[in-house]
Amino acid sequence: MRMNPGIKGYAICREENGWPDIPGIDTIAVDRKLLPAALRRRSSLCTRMAVSAAVAACEQAGVRRESLVSVFASVGGEIQVTDDLCRELPDTQALISPTRFHNSVHNTTAGYWSILNCCQAPTTAIASVTDVFAIGLLEAWSQLMQGVTDILLVCYDERWPHYLAPPVGEIALAAAFVLSSEAPATGQYSISVPALRERDGSGSGQVDEMIRKAPVAACLPLLQALQAGRKQMRIALGIDPLCWHVDLYKVAGHDRNL
Amino acid sequence: MNAVPAESAVPVAAYSAVFCGGSGSGALSRSLQNGQSALGSRSLIELPFDCPVGMVPGELPPLRESLQNFNCRNARLALAALNQPDDGVRSAVEAAAGRWGAERVGVVIGTSTSGLYESEEAYRLLVSEGHMPDDFNFLTRHAYQATARYLQLELGLRGPCYAVSTACSSGAKAIAAAQRLILNGVCDAVLTGGVDTLCGLTLRGFHSLGLIAESVCRPMDAQRNGINIGEAAGLLLLQKPGSAGDAAPCIVSVGESSDAHHMSSPHPGGEGAILAMRSALQGARLQPAAIDYLNLHATATPVNDLVEARAVFSVFGDRVPVSGTKGITGHTLGAAGAIEAIIGLLVLRHQIIPGTAGLQTLEPECHCQVVRQTRTGVRLRTVMSNSFGFGGNNASLIAAMAE
Repeated sequence: MRMNPGIKGYAICREENGWPDIPGIDTIAVDRKLLPAALRRRSSLCTRMAVSAAVAACEQAGVRRESLVSVFASVGGEIQVTDDLCRELPDTQALISPTRFHNSVHNTTAGYWSILNCCQAPTTAIASVTDVFAIGLLEAWSQLMQGVTDILLVCYDERWPHYLAPPVGEIALAAAFVLSSEAPATGQYSISVPALRERDGSGSGQVDEMIRKAPVAACLPLLQALQAGRKQMRIALGIDPLCWHVDLYKVAGHDRNL
Repeated sequence: MNAVPAESAVPVAAYSAVFCGGSGSGALSRSLQNGQSALGSRSLIELPFDCPVGMVPGELPPLRESLQNFNCRNARLALAALNQPDDGVRSAVEAAAGRWGAERVGVVIGTSTSGLYESEEAYRLLVSEGHMPDDFNFLTRHAYQATARYLQLELGLRGPCYAVSTACSSGAKAIAAAQRLILNGVCDAVLTGGVDTLCGLTLRGFHSLGLIAESVCRPMDAQRNGINIGEAAGLLLLQKPGSAGDAAPCIVSVGESSDAHHMSSPHPGGEGAILAMRSALQGARLQPAAIDYLNLHATATPVNDLVEARAVFSVFGDRVPVSGTKGITGHTLGAAGAIEAIIGLLVLRHQIIPGTAGLQTLEPECHCQVVRQTRTGVRLRTVMSNSFGFGGNNASLIAAMAE
């Protein structure tokens, strides 16, 4: 039996000074105080953005962070740290910073999240390119189907150096969702399992442009629909001709099976 | 003593491995049987220190012309494992795609550094000349998902395709994700595993952490002094239950946890490791006594091995034979969880318990039943493999014979 998870909470964190306004999206700023000083000094912008979005989504959802299973999805992860290290490597005598080395792994944000919240529940870090948000949803749904009650999905990418894969990396963003296998309450939303099909309808030019610059921005049409209070909507999670889609449903007062 | 297999059990239709000791599961079986290390001094990388590494010997197969933008050592290692004729992973994937449709076959691959080896070369040009090479392609070589995507295109598959990158637990976590996709009915088959290539960043980074051994590593030894890093590709084709024949072994469950302690040091009490092992047992509905052999993570660093020894003892006591095999393969980082899952399957196939290559004098605080020399003539049905990574990211995988 396939289940449509409920969306218990969500938040999107904007880059400091760099976020273009998107109609219908409320964003939050990075909250530097969320990380204790020792972690803050060592963490990258993308980790701080991801943590800010994740904390806000968890607060909205009213879930306990210390026992929450989590999925972190990103195209490049700690690309700035990795780039710095790669620039040092041609000097074959240079000593690589041990802290920056362990902070270059893709699950750095996931690791700091678990440390910050004293959370020993499973966490994973996955990667894809154009479909990174859809794959994150699929992985989160897949874990809900295997008995997890609530799960945190964070998708994020920071700015990349211009010589890596332009225009990818021209904007940074982090979005977090708390999804649940519990039936959503009246007025809350559920979403279907992502499914691959030919792209349905045409997106907004501005959002499509953002997706080209940050594939995780494929979450923006979903966030726009949530914030607009849409009752039911099929949403393309990308700009490829064949791309993943989800159906979004708002639970009405008298009928949970719209 | 074995209970009815858990509903979570997913059969492995085919598997193969490429590592420093050779190519194909036959080469890995021989190394496990004779306990011989293939770690050596040859290297892809110029380093400011001496250390043995586990480099895959010989020429790797070239990528086809139409997929040259994916060309990097990581993709070629994956292709080498895919093409091992005696292991038949390619033919099994093609059969699965023919049987269920290409859109029903997924690809989930673990890696820690993907095509970083080639990027390091590219950065040399960037630093000296101010630009990347003309054929530099970050998204198809360096990005974590590149090898998974390469395999998907090489095989004409159209199901979900992604990378799991949780450092040294990546390979085991990829298998866990693949198992879920099958159990949830998203896929009928998933090509999974782990692939990692030697590169300067990991060797020099682990060296900065003081974790690289200058000689061949000695897991669980009182004198152990660090890791030998290796490269490898381990691929497994998981299929939906009941579809892979009566003899196919199964991935029964993968227990996952976080230490929530430190980015590069394990929880001193082994809490995360204990949670992962207990979660795997719970997922498989097995008691500790049902595990016939445990492949340790055992990287041969002073702290990690001690913490793992205590954690394993607290779950299993000294009843379960355990060994570490990184003295044979090296620590293959993002591939290790897949290579050691395959070692578990080979242990079941050949009914052997591999010894712990490099072990001379057992760590005095390790009270587990550590196997030194390879044992034959044993009877094994169910095995566990531990994988622990940076970020305190832990996975314990249980594999079993077919019922």
